[in-house]
Amino acid sequence: MTGRDGGEAGLPRITFDKVEKSYGSTLVLPPLDLTLEDGEFTVLVGPSGCGKSTTLRILAGLETLSGGEIYFDDRPIGKLEPKERDIAMVFQDYALYPHMNIARNMSFALRLARAPKSRIDSEVNRVAEMLNIAHLLDRKPAELSGGQRQRVAMGRALVRDAGTFLFDEPLSNLDAKLRAKMRTELAEMRDTIDKNMVYVTHDQVEAMTLGDRIVVMNAGMIQQQGTAEELFANPVNRFVAGFIGSPSMNFLAGEITADRVQGQGFDLPLPPGLAERAGARAVEVGIRPSSIVLEGGAPIQLRVIVSEYLGAQSVLVTRCGNVDVLAEIASVDRIPSGQTRDFGVRTEEIMLFDRATGARI
Amino acid sequence: MPRQNPAFYALLAALIVMALGPIVLMLGNSLKMNVDITSPTSSLLFMPTLRNYETALCDFLWYEPEHIRRCDKTFGRALVNSLTISIISTGITLILGCMAAYALVRFRFMGRGVTSLGTLMVRMVPPAVLLVPVFGIWTFQFGIDGTIGGIILIYVAMNLPFVIWILQSFIVQVPIQLEEAARMDGAGPFRTFFLVVLPLIKPGLAAAAIFTFRVAWNEFLLANALADRATRTVPVTIVNSLTEYDIDWGLIMATGTLLAIPPILFTLVASRQIITGMTAGAVKG
Repeated sequence: MTGRDGGEAGLPRITFDKVEKSYGSTLVLPPLDLTLEDGEFTVLVGPSGCGKSTTLRILAGLETLSGGEIYFDDRPIGKLEPKERDIAMVFQDYALYPHMNIARNMSFALRLARAPKSRIDSEVNRVAEMLNIAHLLDRKPAELSGGQRQRVAMGRALVRDAGTFLFDEPLSNLDAKLRAKMRTELAEMRDTIDKNMVYVTHDQVEAMTLGDRIVVMNAGMIQQQGTAEELFANPVNRFVAGFIGSPSMNFLAGEITADRVQGQGFDLPLPPGLAERAGARAVEVGIRPSSIVLEGGAPIQLRVIVSEYLGAQSVLVTRCGNVDVLAEIASVDRIPSGQTRDFGVRTEEIMLFDRATGARI
Repeated sequence: MPRQNPAFYALLAALIVMALGPIVLMLGNSLKMNVDITSPTSSLLFMPTLRNYETALCDFLWYEPEHIRRCDKTFGRALVNSLTISIISTGITLILGCMAAYALVRFRFMGRGVTSLGTLMVRMVPPAVLLVPVFGIWTFQFGIDGTIGGIILIYVAMNLPFVIWILQSFIVQVPIQLEEAARMDGAGPFRTFFLVVLPLIKPGLAAAAIFTFRVAWNEFLLANALADRATRTVPVTIVNSLTEYDIDWGLIMATGTLLAIPPILFTLVASRQIITGMTAGAVKG
């Protein structure tokens, strides 16, 4: 029923060509161009309402295109029904069929496709073994815990053996501990299963740990795409810089004078070249919490408001002028709250952003 | 009010007598001979007999009761007619109703809101208003007066709006993600509906079935106008047996008792389907 005659090796390269979505006169997704290489684990990440889920649902065929076209290799699929796209999807809310037991949930697609019973059984058992849910096959979804349901939802997609897997925030309903566990398992699965995977999340930790390629979206626009390292080390604008990394980057308003940047409560030297590139203009100074140190670096005075002890690391909420600045430092001594003291900034890690456009300088 | 108050119990007793009295009276009289029923010294002490039931059901008995000289098939036939008409019309109403309700809830088409509201408005028309036009159309245009099919048709038309309306509220509660999941799994609209949605609205179907069955079973006005001798339902037959020459009270009471049994059985069976939490475990709450 689907064009899978190409066999396992023939995973499609997915291309979004000026894909557009609007509801009535409201444009929710401005023309979007994106290419996902075959076999890649792509993560679409962004704050809620940024269009990442819409993009995924358009790819799934659950939403119609308002403009543009999606290609699997050279084949346009924008008008095809979901079942003709060779795609399996894991839903955020699991969406298990409550009246079927787990085995029947997982085999639903194969049964619809009238696959031979022996193949259905072996596929269901194989996937159930892999996901550690073989002992649950006779149960109904209501008798399962959240984490187990999540596995079943994944199992249902995996049984399909489709070329492309879509994940719509699959871990967002789990508690923190389980989420971390499932994230690890997903990362493991990513390496063992050779499929196209497109994963939507608002959690940048999931994005960074799972994605071969991370696509950061905001307000329907792709801000930047690349590997986790690229995005962290070289964000193209203030949004990406603030979104990627935890705790998130500090931004301080400042002015460039000669080779220094000054603002309320700070006066920092800039690495060679950066000041010239910036020229004299209003900027936002981006400092990662990890760039602030207790010893060395360019001096800055910060008043400690709260000290969050996290074990080996402590996150200090400090104030510089009237802006909160987070500092991530090794927990050597407990630093009392309310104290104003000297910190250091690793100036080579400072980033500058145009205050008007947000673009990286 | 304190529960110990005797007035409270007196009130309860009065309500129970009012509710059960007629039924007990009907049941009691159905077990009496006509002589006992009409005698001025009517009492609770009498020789119970099944004669009235034998007379009503003479057509279906495997033996021939000696008190019956000629078997009058009227009541037996009416029971069969009532069962046939009620069951078939309930079935058709549910099948059409659930599909119409699904379309109204899930598909976007022009005039959806008007259709949805319109179906309910139709329900507001009292059957008495329909009586004359329906009789005219059924008799002179369709020529289906006096047929079981004709009565089934009007019952389906009468019950459909309410069933559509009741099922809409059940279908709305089925999480849309389930249908999307089914679409991803390769199901078209029909298989999505029959394999995923329908099993989940079973409680709604049961509620609608109880309602539809009872309306069809009890309906008198239209059946009286449309039915002929051979297609009369039980309510019509009972009323028609109250003649100026003879009223067989015992037989009427027995038929009345028999009339009460099927809806009770049907409700007992159907109400077992009415359980909550059908969609538990489908999506994260």
